[in-house]
Amino acid sequence: MTDHHAASVLITSLLPFQCLEAPFMQQALIGLLLLAPMAAAMGVQVVTFRMAFFADAISHSAFAGVALGLIFSINPHWSMLIFGLLVGLIIMMVQRHTTLSSDTVIGVFFSGVIAFGLAVVSRDRNAARDLQRFLYGDILTIGDDTIAALLILFAVIMLFQAWGYNRMLYIGFNPLLAQVHKVRVAVYQYLFAALLSLVVIFAVWAVGVLLVTALLIVPAATARNMARSAGSMFWWSLAVSLSSAVAGLIISAQEWANTATGATVILVASGWFCLSLMINCRRSGCLS
Amino acid sequence: MPAQTSNAPIAVNFAGVSVTLGGVLILDQVNAAVPQGSCTAIVGPNGSGKTTLLLALLGQLPFSGVIRIGNGGSNTARPRIGYVPQRLPFDRAIPMTVMEFMVMGQQRTPLWFTKKRRHTERAQELLVTVHVEGAAHRQLGALSGGEMQRVLLALALQQDPDLLILDEPAAGVDFHGEQIFCELLDTLRSRHGFTQLIVSHDLATVTHHSTHVICLNHTVIAAGPPRQVLTNETLTATFGLHMGLVASHAMPEAGPACTASCCAPEARHD
Repeated sequence: MTDHHAASVLITSLLPFQCLEAPFMQQALIGLLLLAPMAAAMGVQVVTFRMAFFADAISHSAFAGVALGLIFSINPHWSMLIFGLLVGLIIMMVQRHTTLSSDTVIGVFFSGVIAFGLAVVSRDRNAARDLQRFLYGDILTIGDDTIAALLILFAVIMLFQAWGYNRMLYIGFNPLLAQVHKVRVAVYQYLFAALLSLVVIFAVWAVGVLLVTALLIVPAATARNMARSAGSMFWWSLAVSLSSAVAGLIISAQEWANTATGATVILVASGWFCLSLMINCRRSGCLS
Repeated sequence: MPAQTSNAPIAVNFAGVSVTLGGVLILDQVNAAVPQGSCTAIVGPNGSGKTTLLLALLGQLPFSGVIRIGNGGSNTARPRIGYVPQRLPFDRAIPMTVMEFMVMGQQRTPLWFTKKRRHTERAQELLVTVHVEGAAHRQLGALSGGEMQRVLLALALQQDPDLLILDEPAAGVDFHGEQIFCELLDTLRSRHGFTQLIVSHDLATVTHHSTHVICLNHTVIAAGPPRQVLTNETLTATFGLHMGLVASHAMPEAGPACTASCCAPEARHD
């Protein structure tokens, strides 16, 4: 309780907006402040590795995850996490051991998991309502247990970024070159796939299946336009995602807007991206 | 620099190496040795299995047979390998400086936190060695083909390699650039004493800079010093047509015209 009170005082003093006085808005803000930097940091590698489609497949596996939860009568949050993690690791394994192109492999899994989810849901009308929740996400109903889970995942992701950022760049540049020069490519690839899957599933709860990839890609893509070095790309991505998360949450709660929070966050981030495109264009002289 | 006599130490030994991909036999019982300290060139036409042999050597393909790196003697430490890939496909739009590129494999501390001074100093030294000293703060994507090749060479040298592997070093570089690159490699080889293994289909490079040649067309057609190996008969057998352009009289009388001490007549194979 004391922790909650302290956090509440901190939020209202740093961000003196009336809408942030409601406890559920403060919970949502904390959730977004944890989730956005994770997605932004992992997004740098998603953009470098061109893995947007991979993230899409994981997010769509949420349908099948929910369906499995219904079959086995377990909390859909848990079944989504476990199933998303499994799909991520299996896609990475197949990618590494086949000559098929990665978008073909992901495309097959993508269709498979959606078909499975839809097949189960089509048998049970109540499940359809459950699914809709994950289609659009709902950060405003985030609970204490989810925030605790996000805190743990946040610590793990930031440790991974501190420990493996350079090696991941090496692999993103050329995996064969990295391997010959003594980088443990397989370890990093599996670890990245697992952590990315977890971030994606948490992001599905917050912004919904449709907008997960945007949360990963838009800040990192903006960072690419703005940054002049691989180091600053990380900070740009973080700055864009955090500012979009806070601004998106506040704007969505205004009476004149009254929009879905996840969608508003992504809209603000997309605004940043457009601005970065113009700045980049000005720098390279394409406007003159 | 060890002398390359017939019983010179072996840096890499291929024994009965076969590779089958998709049901097609790409390499058939390849037996060859790369003398230590040599500049060995693997030559052959497109589709002859040169790159496959290289990938097998780098542990990227399943193969039957044995590939031994190092002389297998008392020195049990794993040999260090430096690799310079051919026309590396990479995302030129990625914001990364040449210095970051050089440092990323050396330091664990993330680039978004700091670049450690000892690593940047070593990287700068290597960039000077390969004559791209002014490129440290340039964007990687803005480098020309020749500059990129030299930066990749610096990255490979950072491994302090016992074996330096280059895939088609002449590809994508003009004749003058290629000449400079090969002379640079000769100098570095004599200075650091590494073994150099080149995969090439450019016979001009091979004749002027290699001390040992392996002619490959799915299997080894011939192997030895260039003047002995690059005969019309061998080249016809390897490339499948008459190669008058590289008649043996075109090669320097005393052997390859490289500047490294391993190219000196007394260092060549008998």
